[in-house]
Amino acid sequence: MAALQQAARKSEAPLKLVASDVRKEFSLRKGEKITAVEKMSFEVRENEMCVLLGPSGCGKSTVLKIVAGLEMPTSGSMRLDGREIVAPGRERGMVFQAYTSFPWLTVRQNVEYGLRINGMGAKERRERAEYYIDLVHLSKFRDVYPKQLSGGMKQRVAIARTLANEPALLLMDEPFGALDAETRWHMQEFMIEILESSKITVLMVTHDIDEALFLADHIVFMSTHPGTKREDLWTDFKNGVRIRDKEEILGMDGYRDMETKILRMMREESLLKKQLA
Amino acid sequence: MSGSDSTIAATSAGDTASPRRRERWLEFKKPIPTWELILLGLIVWVLFFGIWKLATAVGWAPPFLLPAPDAVAMTLYELFASRGFLMDVLVSVYRIIVSFAAACLIAVPLGILMGSFSRIEALFNPLVSAWRYLPAPSFIPLLLMWFGTDDTSKLALLFIGVVWFLMTLVMDHTKAVKTEVIQTALTLGANRWQVLRTVIVPAVMPNVVITMRQMLAAAWTYLVIAEIMAATDGIGAMMMRAKRFIHADEIMAGIVMIGVLGLLFDYLFRVLERILFSYQEET
Ligand SMILES: Nc1ncnc2c1ncn2[C@@H]1O[C@H](COP(=O)(O)OP(=O)(O)OP(=O)(O)O)[C@@H](O)[C@H]1O
Ligand SMILES: [Mg+2]
Repeated sequence: MAALQQAARKSEAPLKLVASDVRKEFSLRKGEKITAVEKMSFEVRENEMCVLLGPSGCGKSTVLKIVAGLEMPTSGSMRLDGREIVAPGRERGMVFQAYTSFPWLTVRQNVEYGLRINGMGAKERRERAEYYIDLVHLSKFRDVYPKQLSGGMKQRVAIARTLANEPALLLMDEPFGALDAETRWHMQEFMIEILESSKITVLMVTHDIDEALFLADHIVFMSTHPGTKREDLWTDFKNGVRIRDKEEILGMDGYRDMETKILRMMREESLLKKQLA
Repeated sequence: MSGSDSTIAATSAGDTASPRRRERWLEFKKPIPTWELILLGLIVWVLFFGIWKLATAVGWAPPFLLPAPDAVAMTLYELFASRGFLMDVLVSVYRIIVSFAAACLIAVPLGILMGSFSRIEALFNPLVSAWRYLPAPSFIPLLLMWFGTDDTSKLALLFIGVVWFLMTLVMDHTKAVKTEVIQTALTLGANRWQVLRTVIVPAVMPNVVITMRQMLAAAWTYLVIAEIMAATDGIGAMMMRAKRFIHADEIMAGIVMIGVLGLLFDYLFRVLERILFSYQEET
């Protein structure tokens, strides 16, 4: 059944991001080395919402940083549109869990930041920023400094700032992890809105199963020790439609099955972790 | 209504041991009203002057060693009015400003670079750390040999007294800039120079200005040392002249003047901070 679904949903869209056999070692003090990620291969297709899901410490952030160009793989390759990723660049904008809005800039200046440093003219920049500030529902706050914003609003500023740059691939590392349950729910529904209106490819990290099932078209489930891909999952129960209402999705056929399956994998991972410890 | 009243009365009157929440005089990190702030500060000053005055009035100390506070105030007035003390004050302020500005000009950019790049830190930090442990006054004999008793030797002493500390503190503040903020800028397409200029510098500036304010106090220390050592003008030089003629009131007037100037500079820095960094979150 699962295999059938997978075969059915692997979309025909062109490949956007291809990770092949990525391995990442970190050197610790005293010359020791730790392998954070190995044999990591996965693909993200155009306009796909791909979620990296897995237990804590399995290397999700490490993979995302390699895609961002903030870390270099020890071996293997990471390609965007067929080109090897060797450095950070504006086509791969990243949103972090920690609040990163620049406190010395207003909301509008924050959103304009990427455009400004990339040399866009003031007028065009302003128009583009306006559009994205609208998109994240912050028009009323455009001239306000981040200290006056709530956590969810700060994250929306960060998202608008990255979207305004119109990246080929939007990277998000647990973007809603620091938010309370209600705000997180809002932000997840808001993400669906963004996905629908901006036709963008997203690679997002989370360890929240609900969030993954709600947002993802494609889930790359990772296992620990060493961090690697365990399984690709496609959220076929949505029939290719992104559902904006989180309650609706909770009642859909197939949601529970997939949730159970992922929960079981999570459990196996944690048992494995215990055995190794 | 009356029933509930009586229960409240009964419980509060009858049960004295019941744990009730009350304001205590000392509470951790609790802000106090402005009037209390001013009052508390004044009380200690009044006590200070009161004890001082008392000590001189009852003759615990001979007036030529410990003049009364009002006598010091009179002397300070006289110094300004008829003894050209203003020139001394201006000379001292000029020395502070020039050498402190020079120290900042070197220490702030270098500190930011050291905090941003591990290799630059590795290059300079061993040197900076060593110099930080050398007491600046130990250079006075050398400075006098090299520059004589003119202004340069004083400016140099102030400079080496301040620059190393400033550099280290700025470096530490720069290191504390959140990595994610820098990485965000990188993934928005900023190059290293842009990250430095548009992210790291604005992010550390509030702390740099606070550090400058704190280091300025140290600068005053070195200024007075330099002027006491060898100078013909400046507040410290005036105090040394006064010592020769056993004029304790003039020495104390000099100390008061330094205190007042210190407060003034501190206040100016605070105003600057409030104007420049009003966007900051209060912590
Ligand atoms: N800079 C680094 N230096 C040394 N080890 C690192 C570094 N970054 C990550 N690691 C190690 O690599 C492994 C994977 O870390 P990573 O942060 O990618 O996990 P994660 O899946 O994002 O975890 P979480 O869900 O807790 O965020 C961990 O064992 C971590 O200790
Ligand atoms: Mg992580």
